Amino acid sequence: MTAATRSSSPRVTMDGGRASNEPRLSVEQVSYAYAPNPQQAPIFTLEATSFQAKAGEVVAILGPNASGKSTLLQIISGALQPLSGRVLLNGFVTHDLEPRTRGQRIAVVQQESQLLFPSKAWEFVMQGRHPYGKSLRFETGDDVLIAKNALAQVGAEHLSDRWMDQISGGEKQRVILARALAQQPLLLLLDEPTLHLDIGAQVDLLETLRRLAAENRYTVVVVTHELNLVGEYADQVVLLQRGKCLRVGAPANVYQRDLLEQVFQTRLTVEMGSNGRPRVNILPGEQS
Amino acid sequence: MKNCAINCLLRLATVAVFLCATAAVVSARPEQAESASTPKEAFRTVSDETGRSVRIPVPVRRVVSLAPSLTESLYALGMDELLVGDTDYCDYPPAAMKKHKVGGATNPSLEEIALLKPDVVLVTKGLNRLETVQELERLGIAAYATDPHTVDEIRSSVRRLAEILGNAAEGDALDRELRQQETGLHQRLQDVAPRRVLFVVWSDPLISIGRHTFIADALVHAGAVSVVESSQDWPQMSLEEMVRLQPEYLVFASSHSDAVSRDVEALARRPGWEQLEAVKHRRFAVVSDAVNRPAPRLFSAIEDLARQLHPEAFAEKSETSKSAAPAEKN
Amino acid sequence: MRPLTVSRLLTQCLILGAILFCVMVLALKFGAVHVSLYGLGRDLLRVLMGKSTEISSDYSLILNLRLPRIFLSVLVGASLSIAGTSFQALLRNPLADPYVLGVSSGAAVGAILALLLEPRLALSPEIASVFTPLGGFLGAAVAITAVYFLGRREGRVDSSTLLLGGVIIASLLSAFISLLLSVMPSSNVRGMSYWLMGELTAVPSRPLAWVLRVGFFVAAAAIYTTASDLNLLLSGEKEAMHLGVDVRRVRLVVYIAASALTGLAVAMSGSIGYIGLLVPHVMRMIFGSDHRILLPASAFGGAIALVIADTLARTIAAPSELPVGAITAIAGAPLFIYLLRRRLT
Repeated sequence: MTAATRSSSPRVTMDGGRASNEPRLSVEQVSYAYAPNPQQAPIFTLEATSFQAKAGEVVAILGPNASGKSTLLQIISGALQPLSGRVLLNGFVTHDLEPRTRGQRIAVVQQESQLLFPSKAWEFVMQGRHPYGKSLRFETGDDVLIAKNALAQVGAEHLSDRWMDQISGGEKQRVILARALAQQPLLLLLDEPTLHLDIGAQVDLLETLRRLAAENRYTVVVVTHELNLVGEYADQVVLLQRGKCLRVGAPANVYQRDLLEQVFQTRLTVEMGSNGRPRVNILPGEQS
Repeated sequence: MKNCAINCLLRLATVAVFLCATAAVVSARPEQAESASTPKEAFRTVSDETGRSVRIPVPVRRVVSLAPSLTESLYALGMDELLVGDTDYCDYPPAAMKKHKVGGATNPSLEEIALLKPDVVLVTKGLNRLETVQELERLGIAAYATDPHTVDEIRSSVRRLAEILGNAAEGDALDRELRQQETGLHQRLQDVAPRRVLFVVWSDPLISIGRHTFIADALVHAGAVSVVESSQDWPQMSLEEMVRLQPEYLVFASSHSDAVSRDVEALARRPGWEQLEAVKHRRFAVVSDAVNRPAPRLFSAIEDLARQLHPEAFAEKSETSKSAAPAEKN
Repeated sequence: MRPLTVSRLLTQCLILGAILFCVMVLALKFGAVHVSLYGLGRDLLRVLMGKSTEISSDYSLILNLRLPRIFLSVLVGASLSIAGTSFQALLRNPLADPYVLGVSSGAAVGAILALLLEPRLALSPEIASVFTPLGGFLGAAVAITAVYFLGRREGRVDSSTLLLGGVIIASLLSAFISLLLSVMPSSNVRGMSYWLMGELTAVPSRPLAWVLRVGFFVAAAAIYTTASDLNLLLSGEKEAMHLGVDVRRVRLVVYIAASALTGLAVAMSGSIGYIGLLVPHVMRMIFGSDHRILLPASAFGGAIALVIADTLARTIAAPSELPVGAITAIAGAPLFIYLLRRRLT
């Protein structure tokens, strides 16, 4: 790591005094419900869910569509207030943080970013520096360095001067990730980042996430429904179905055939790979 | 850092110089324009027809007219040598076309007016805009407004105008002349029932005149009465309403009577219009467009209209007019 | 990778300011009175030195007539452009202009009502001169508030509902204006039609001019403080929120300040079109969409454009004056078509 890279890693002082294996992220019994209109009873999109994550860990929130994954992610990010329970990041309740402070600690990578007027990739990444300093800010030399570094970390330095609407989907995804890194967060949240990517790009992304989590001591939470990517790259899996949290644990523990078949409504088999990671094979034909 | 400071300073300096200049300039008094022209002038304060008090220099030497009717009045009073500027639309008498033009009546160029250094600017509420008057006031130029609504008011307005401009004698003379004309006409029409007419300003949509306009009053003086009872000045009427009211005559204002004949023929062919008795029997009168201007020429137009509507009241005057049908007369 | 620095920002503003200055000086030159810049400069110097009585009457005329009008053009042009830029960012819609939220219709209704009421109230001359602009501004304020409440969804202001609310209010008020115009006495109708087309001949009185200047600077400064936030808002509301932008506060500040700017501009000079819509686009083509430079650039650009348009309005059909809104429309529409086609290719 060069000096520049070192300066771009998260400030370790935030964790100061905390033992390195104490949980950084603590999700405690969060649930969420909303009422479509005042007359109807509220619908629970997420029932009481809990899990914890340490620095350097990659957590996957796994489940089929409409299982409450995105809701859980929004609650963790502090944007949505849970109906019950709370989310603690290094002891601070995420929802109660000031937006600025939250932006310094939590970075969220959404799906497609709709840009109204085209901007260059480096401008886009610089936006990640916004939570630092005053509301009306002009970028400092440090900001430039951090942004450059962020692009380097995702392997997108060559895209720096390109226009955002002229690069491919995978390249855009990398730039968006670089913006999140520029925030120098403690927690990195990604909502279905592999949706529009081809297989090679998907693997690339997960590799990068695992590497970044280890190098920069991020806690990474990824929402996805890609069974095998999760099996291969996640340290912890939170399995959701229709708002209920069915299992939390390492992939080897969570990937039980009966459980997965029930959740994903399809016949499959689970194999243990040589590296201790489970692999799922979908069986075609009649469904269970 | 140093670059930033220099830039800041430069910019502030520009802005500062600018602000100083404008502050100084804006505080230059508008009276400069007046004092440059005639340093030793007397003034009198009069009240114009809208109730404003206007400060006019004595004597008045330079007048700008912002309405064709006021220009006409000045010529009728024989005071046209005072006129130094008028609007693009001041076309009567033809000599008025040669005066310096200051633009339209509603959008004149204030610079042109100010350049002419008038002692007073004549405006009328029915045509000119309040904004123009406010701007003139801001520049320290006197603006005298007329606002006649009836024929009598037009007459007294012209008379007052002459007095304001320093020639009451002319005003009185014209006033007497017009009054005579009016009285003469009134006598002829004394025992005649007024004709019910529709004054057509525009045929599609059908627009007529309201009861508070001077044109409505002019119709009364001509032995007619407008069937339209509206408080708006230019009301839009429905054809059905006109069919219900069945006016006896249609009245058009135009300088080309043969063009009107053709228009009426065209109107007769339009759906709905042939239901009007006046259209069916081609009973219409054409009066000169002087009727649109609240000026002395209006009186002649009134008489002309009266001749068309009540030929029998003028019978002893000429043989030809007795037999001629109203529609063909000019 | 060259981020925007304060010094670069100021340099660009300085250049634009210099261009504006030149345009203003040129505008002073054109008109009914022949102006030599040397003579004007000499008189200006005399005024500064306190010898105001020695100015020739012609130049005094210029300074009383043209200069205030040029300043008004600068103020109105800058206000409309800043408002246009802000609304385009706030509503995430490149077709937004300052009037899209019904502000100008509200101002028009207020001004018409003021014109109707004025003869019935015995007003002192000072109040009479501000009555119509005041009515306009109040009308604008009412429209803004109505649209704001219409545009709320689940307690938050939502861009698409806001836009919809604005369109509804604007069309409702337009119909109301047509109704009012048809029953108004004709003398006032004439005045209103010029006002609706936009004109800059009504120069505000001293106290009103101060209100305008102060209002402009306060509103423009308020919007500028959100410039960085607006950049992020363009990426999306959720993204902006996660990057630390207080979306709700930014929305409110920009909405009120941009509406105030529009209301002031419209109250003074009617609805002059195309400035608020096109100047931001042109400036974006030159300076990019970073609002820290785009906002001041739009302000200068709008001022320059309107001073030029007003000069043309005064001189093309001399001695008559055309309404400046007609000039901006005639020039603006083809430019708009050209810009649209560029975007689509």
